[in-house]
Order: sequence, then structure tokens, then C-alpha cells
Amino acid sequence: MTVIRLLNRVEEGIISLLLVALTLLVFVEVVMRFGFGMAIDWAEEGSLLLAGWFVLFGASHGIKTGSHIGVDFVVRAMPSRVRRAVSALAVLACLFYTGMLLLGSWEYLDKVYRIGLPMEDVPLPTWLAQSVLLIGFAMIGIRLLILLWQIVTGQADSFPFSDEAEGSMERLEQEQAAHGGGE
Amino acid sequence: MTTAFLFTALFAAMIAGIPVALALGLASATTILFFSSDTLSSVALKFFSAASDHYTLLAIPFFILSSAFLSTGGVAQRLITFANNSVGHIRGGLAMASVLACMLFAAVSGSSPATVAAIGSLVISGMVQAGYPEKFAAGAIANAGTLGILIPPSIVMLVYSAATEVSAAKMFMAGLIPGIVMGCILMLAIYIYARIKRLPALPFPGFTALFGSGLRASGGLMLIVIVLGAIYGGVASPTEAAAVSAVYAFLVSALVYRDIGPLKGVPWRRDGESVAGAIGRNTGRMLLAVPASFWHREMKDTVLEGAKTSIMLLFIIANAMLFAHVLTTERIPHHIAEAIVSWGLPAWGFLIVVNVLLLVAGNFMEPSAILLIMAPILFPIATRLGVDPIHLGIIMVVNMEIGMITPPVGLNLFVTAGITKRSLGWAVSAALPWLGLLLLFLILITYVPEVSLILPQLLS
Repeated sequence: MTVIRLLNRVEEGIISLLLVALTLLVFVEVVMRFGFGMAIDWAEEGSLLLAGWFVLFGASHGIKTGSHIGVDFVVRAMPSRVRRAVSALAVLACLFYTGMLLLGSWEYLDKVYRIGLPMEDVPLPTWLAQSVLLIGFAMIGIRLLILLWQIVTGQADSFPFSDEAEGSMERLEQEQAAHGGGE
Repeated sequence: MTTAFLFTALFAAMIAGIPVALALGLASATTILFFSSDTLSSVALKFFSAASDHYTLLAIPFFILSSAFLSTGGVAQRLITFANNSVGHIRGGLAMASVLACMLFAAVSGSSPATVAAIGSLVISGMVQAGYPEKFAAGAIANAGTLGILIPPSIVMLVYSAATEVSAAKMFMAGLIPGIVMGCILMLAIYIYARIKRLPALPFPGFTALFGSGLRASGGLMLIVIVLGAIYGGVASPTEAAAVSAVYAFLVSALVYRDIGPLKGVPWRRDGESVAGAIGRNTGRMLLAVPASFWHREMKDTVLEGAKTSIMLLFIIANAMLFAHVLTTERIPHHIAEAIVSWGLPAWGFLIVVNVLLLVAGNFMEPSAILLIMAPILFPIATRLGVDPIHLGIIMVVNMEIGMITPPVGLNLFVTAGITKRSLGWAVSAALPWLGLLLLFLILITYVPEVSLILPQLLS
């Protein structure tokens, strides 16, 4: 269990760090350009690349925590057994999509690797810079397989959803608790 | 055939509970696989460029991050005090001040449910104590909270410009006047109600108190000034302004307001401390606090929360770009546009259809998801009929606002029910009278394009 917990913390740490790095890169670029008249020529491509890593690397985490929004009121209205069956099918469909994208990413990265295409401004080969396609979809695939296992064994009965309204409420309660029951 | 498959797959997937992002990607990728000659590797390339080719979209995680730092009870309380001091002395002033506080907080946070939660939890009980009916108070807040997506900076507007390539800066300019108009309509309604029901007014606190509370709220208010000033003045792009605002929000919340982070609860000046001592102590602690924030539990949670929301939105957008790609290659919007033009539907008739369609969709789905699915379809049709793209964007955003206070997926209703500890049905009936005002506003926005277009025209 501790290994899994460590992996989770590493994953969350990387996601947060990518966001912080992205923000600081654009911020520093703006400050350098407006404050010192110096443009960082690789900043735009670099920040877009960081954004790509941020989204693709982080997407699978949301499947576990249920932060990906969806239309859940139909599934919720179903009786439990039907819901599990429908959800299992839904996860299989998503796995099919993930499989397609994994295959596509592999073909694409293999192609740019063989051509030896570099990025325009960032001194990295394209295959390495965009390898997060493969990493991200592989991680999504793993999360989906775990979810499928949970649905089959009855530990879960649908995609997890945590809605934004609940999130706002939770945050509020935490804050009030921290302030000693509100002001 | 292709069209039918694409949409059937999309809706089947969403109804089966697949998250919107994966549903969009699944429907698009299978359509490409079955009906087009594109290779899987070109789909992968398309996906990567969708996730990382739009500089404007970077503004989304930055605004979400700055909102995560400033959506605290402390900022909300300061804005409320400022609003109370400025309009509280008018009859019905407490309710009007709450609406004003919602408008200000909405501009800082860019999120509707967060606005209702932060402001509503603080003002509703206050209004009830001052003699307002609870239903009235809750309804006003639920409605004023929807302004979060109309008053710039707004994440929903960024999503619209990502889907349609309309300039995000122009959308931000277009949203300001409608946002202020809607706020004034709400306040006017409250004033009339307060006159009839003889609701109380607060005493005017004096200009010193007004100025003082304005100064204390200025940490949050400056964010609006920085962002809108930079964008309206044409100094910076929304992305650049957003990155600056994220860093600014961190500094204000961690070092100045000290609502979160390592300096939480550390006073600016202790009792009996000399000025020089206070300056020295604060400078030292603030310098230490910046690196310490990287290890501070609350800070890490705030950043992670912001990251999760950003990834959720950006992942939908990346998949929606795949969806839009299929739409365009199959020329689906073009065919629909042809059909509608051949019916001889005038622009105003088309806008009625748009409104009805969006209002219905708004009852079931999240604003960003609706925009990403509908905008690529409606946009080319609107252009054909001579509707201004920016105007269409504002119409869509106002429709989304209404969707936030109509069941079953009205986020603001859930939050209102939550903070008042009442049922969802009660929240629906509290918000209902105000819904009429929003609908009137929608008609105004739809048929008087000048309200939205005058500012972008003046400034460009």
C-alpha cells in the first residue's frame, strides 16, 4: 500500500510542479519582455509543450478522483445491477478509444523518431518532447483497467464523479472548520 | 450517415456516464476510424496539437490558479465590507451590497458556484437577521452568482474563443457592459422590492470607513484592474495577463492577506512593536515564506485543486478539438447552415432557435462542455446569417448563466441549497422569481447587440 501511496504523491507532485513551472515560465517571459526588453525566444513553444505535458500527464489522475465532469443523472437513476453493466461497457468503450490513441501515438512518435525531427525553438527531438502522448494515454489506460476491475468486483458501479457544487461546499466547510466554526 | 453516427455515439457515451472529455474523443475517433481515411497517427498528432497549440488556452489554468488563491473567505469578507459601506445606506442596501459583492468576487474568481459559496455563506444569514425573507436573500445570491461567467475575466469565454478562434480579449471587452447591466437590473429589482416591503437601510458609515474598507479590499480589486487594464489597453494578451494575475494572487493571498500559506495568522504588527521592528520582521518572514510555500500543505492542496480543475477543462477542450475537426472535415455545420438558409430563417429567428437549444442543453450539461459542442456548429451558421461572432459568444454565455439556476444540473442551486441547509426544491423556488429577470436580460442581449459590441468597437 505504501508504494501506491508514494506513487500517488509523486504523481500529484509532478502535476502541481508542471502547473507552477508553466505559470512561472509565462510570468518570467512577460517580466523579461516588458521590464527588460528581452524576449526569451523558446518561451512560447516551451510553455505550450509544458501545457501539453500538464494536460496529458494529469488526465489519468482525474479518472481516479472523479474530477472529469459528465452527465451522471441517467446512470444514477438506473438500478444497481444495470448501472454496473452499463458502466462496464462504458469503460470498455473508453479502453477502445485509449487503445486507438496509444497505437496512433506509437506510429506517430516512431515516424518522427526515424526522421529525427527536432522541435523549432526548444532544443529537444520531437519524439521526446511529445512522448507524453504515449505516457499519458498509457496512464489513462491503466486507470481505466483499475476502474473496470473495481466495477467487475463490485467495489465501484460507475465512473466516479465529484461535482463542482460539492467541491465548493467542501472547501467552504474546511475553511469554516479552520476558522473555528466561521466568523 | 457520418453525422448520425457521430452524434449517436456522442450522446450514447454521455448517457452511459462516460466523462464528457472521453465521450467527445471516443465519438470522434471512432467516426474517423470508420468513415474517414485519416490514419491513427494523424489523430494522435491532431490530439497533441489540440492540447498544446493554442496559446490563448494557457490563460485557463492561470485564471483557475489565481481564483484558487483568492476564492477564500477572507477575500470575500473584505469585498462584502467594502460593498456594504458603498451601497448599504440605500433602502434594501444589504441585499444590493451582496449583489455588488457577488459581481466583484465573480470578477476575481471567474467561477459562479465559488461566488455563491463564498459570498452566500457570509451574507445570507446576515440578511435574514436584518429582516429580509431567507428565500429572497438566497434567490438574489444564486442569481448574482451567475454573473461569474459573464463578468470578465471569465473561463467560459476563453473556452468559447478556443472553440471559435474569436479573440479572447474582445470577448472580455464585450462581457463587461452586459455584466454591469445585469448587476444593475438585479439591484434595481431589489430596490423596488425593498421600497414596497419597507426593508431596512444601513446607516452611512462615512467616507473614512468607505475609503478604509476599499483599501483593505484593494488587494483583490487590483487583480481586476491589472487584468482588465492590461487587456483593454492592448498592453498584454489574456494569457500574459492571466500569468501575471496568478503570481499576483499568490503574493496577495500568501504575503499580504495571509489567508493561506506559511504566514497564516502572522500579524503585520504586534502590540507594542516598533515600526522598524515590524518592517524588519515582516520583510524577513515574507522572504522566507515564498520558498516555504512550496512545502506548505495548504498551498500544495490549493495548487493541486487548481491543477485538477484546469486539467479537467483542458482535457475536454483537447478532445473537443478532435470533435470539431471531424465536424469540419465532414462539413456538418456547412450542411446545417445550408439547410437553415434554405428555410429562409432570418437572423432573429435563428437566434430564438439558438436560445431555446442552449436553454434546454443548459439544464443537463456543464457550460464549458455545451460551448465546446455547440459553438463549432452554431458559429458558421451565425456567420452566414450575419450575426457578429462576439455577439453570439455573449448570447451563449448568458444562456449558460440561466442554465446554472435551472434544475437538474444548476450548479448554483446545489450550492444555494447547501449553504442554506435547505432542499434543492426550496432553492429552485427561491431562484425562480429572479429567473424572469434573467430571461428578460437574455432578450435584451439577444436583440440589442450594441450592449455587447459597443466596448470592443470603441477599444479597437
